[in-house]
Amino acid sequence: MCQKHSEISQNPSHFEGSAEEFKIASTVQANYTDYIKGMKFFDPHIHMTSRTTDDYTALIDAGVVAIIEPAFWLGQPRTGLSSFKDYFSSLVGWERFRSSQFGIKHYCTIGLNSREANNEALAEQVMEILPIFLYKEGVVGVGEIGFDDQTAAEEKYYRLQLELAKEANLPVQVHTPHRDKKRGTELSMSIALEHGIDPGMVIIDHNNEETVESVLEKGFWAAFTIYPFTKMGNERMVEIVKKYGSERIMVNSAADWGISDPLAVPKTAALMKIKGISDEDIRLVTYQNAIDAFAQSGQINAIDFESPMEVDQNLKFNGNTVLRGGQIPRVEKNSIIIS
Amino acid sequence: MDYSSLLFDRIQSQASAKELSWIESKANGSLQSLQTAFVAAPRFISKEFVQYPEPINGVSFNNWTFDRLVRVYLLSKFNSSDKDSYIKAIDTLFDTAENNEAVALISTLPFLAYPDYWMLRATNAVRSNIGPVFDAIAFQNPFPKNLFSELAWNQMVLKCIFNDKPIHKIEGVLDRANAELAHSISYLAHERWSAGRTIPAYAWRLVINFLNEEILKDIQYLFSSSSVHDRIAATLVCIATDFPGAKEELKKHRDLELKAKTDVFSWEGLEN
Repeated sequence: MCQKHSEISQNPSHFEGSAEEFKIASTVQANYTDYIKGMKFFDPHIHMTSRTTDDYTALIDAGVVAIIEPAFWLGQPRTGLSSFKDYFSSLVGWERFRSSQFGIKHYCTIGLNSREANNEALAEQVMEILPIFLYKEGVVGVGEIGFDDQTAAEEKYYRLQLELAKEANLPVQVHTPHRDKKRGTELSMSIALEHGIDPGMVIIDHNNEETVESVLEKGFWAAFTIYPFTKMGNERMVEIVKKYGSERIMVNSAADWGISDPLAVPKTAALMKIKGISDEDIRLVTYQNAIDAFAQSGQINAIDFESPMEVDQNLKFNGNTVLRGGQIPRVEKNSIIIS
Repeated sequence: MDYSSLLFDRIQSQASAKELSWIESKANGSLQSLQTAFVAAPRFISKEFVQYPEPINGVSFNNWTFDRLVRVYLLSKFNSSDKDSYIKAIDTLFDTAENNEAVALISTLPFLAYPDYWMLRATNAVRSNIGPVFDAIAFQNPFPKNLFSELAWNQMVLKCIFNDKPIHKIEGVLDRANAELAHSISYLAHERWSAGRTIPAYAWRLVINFLNEEILKDIQYLFSSSSVHDRIAATLVCIATDFPGAKEELKKHRDLELKAKTDVFSWEGLEN
């Protein structure tokens, strides 16, 4: 979601590390997977609907065994309720199935995103269908909701959805704004507290060096999006873990239709490993904390992805429909021959 | 026939006391509360496999999870006396269905009132690329056998063959074999052979009563195949058909014929 390249220079790295660290980070990246062999990852924020099958293959190869796809906008505003309904339905339908074809467990959060909350006539209708989806299997939270432009309409629907989350006893995945982030983050947290929501049920997303301290201090989960240019870089992320430890901190890619990297979580884990962060801290921020936060929904059963996923033959080959009849499930990317 | 009481008997034999009391508390509720119960079922009902899979109303429950059976039961309890509200309630469930819900809904088609109304739901399940949803209409489900047009039926069987799915699990697969389908199977095989691929050998069982000179050429090709399954299928077709040319062909393969006639080879052995 990098709309303004001018923002890049406004958000320089706060922690650049030593010259030696910089050198390591820029020279070892070719074989970064060597550093994370045997590790498992959970990406709690990735928009797979916007990604290709190549990405799914790359994710499972890199050790990402489960993901959460938050509901958001499509890059342009929807014009009718049916578009929302079909989108929510695809998150618990086709996309979930598509993911299973690659051995990745797919969860989602459902919500009215902040941008589209500004179309109040449509937002009213969306609010009516949200409860139908929130109680479905594998829906692990209300999200991503919160502020973008920080308008009155955004606040109204943020509050209404906090109430839905409270009633359904679901975690809340809060999007924090690109612009005026610090104020938006503080506002999001104070409103959640005002609604009597346990901060342990709220994941504040897209944090940076400016917001993290307050989020952790107040007892919320702090998620960091490793996203080129507009959000966090992973070298900065390493510094954050060095400074704040691993408690209630999690990393995600938020990969979508923008210039983003679906492998942000495993890559960040590799960089942490190289820079001397302990395996246990890496495990917490790239796997376990996200599970602990979202499993409060009662909808995550770690057995589903903890042991190497047994790909059901009935789903994978005989029932294979992403891959057409008679094909083999994998293509050799470097081969010129397509058979 | 009151299938819901039969379904309930089956549920009763497996449910824990806690599950049973949840089911009973929901079963006689309003349409809306049944709708909610249908969605919420996995929060209260286990995903153990159904213990007694014997069919009810032509639907058998092999490899069904228990929550799926309970969902089917809850749907069978929807009051159908007011057609509009009945249909609206179930349509809403279809339109917003998560995958496991979609599977349960499609499995319930043979139990629903106004069967003709659900035809598009059934054919859309055949169109679905979500494996389990397709399987829910194609296998252990008598709805297609009883209600599909020949065109819809053939689409379903062909898609099974195309995706290497086990067509012997289709209810009525032998009864509803037809000439058009035999032709399409032959044509699909030609396409696959051009690509250096094959179709599952069991599919040839469906051409037995519709052999002609064209399909006989396919059988001859199968006899020359390097796959033993293809050669077995060719043999079994030639033994079962009345088409004279096939009997001539069989004489060239006495060894295979003998094994088929002594039950060393069988269609069951070709099930995938």
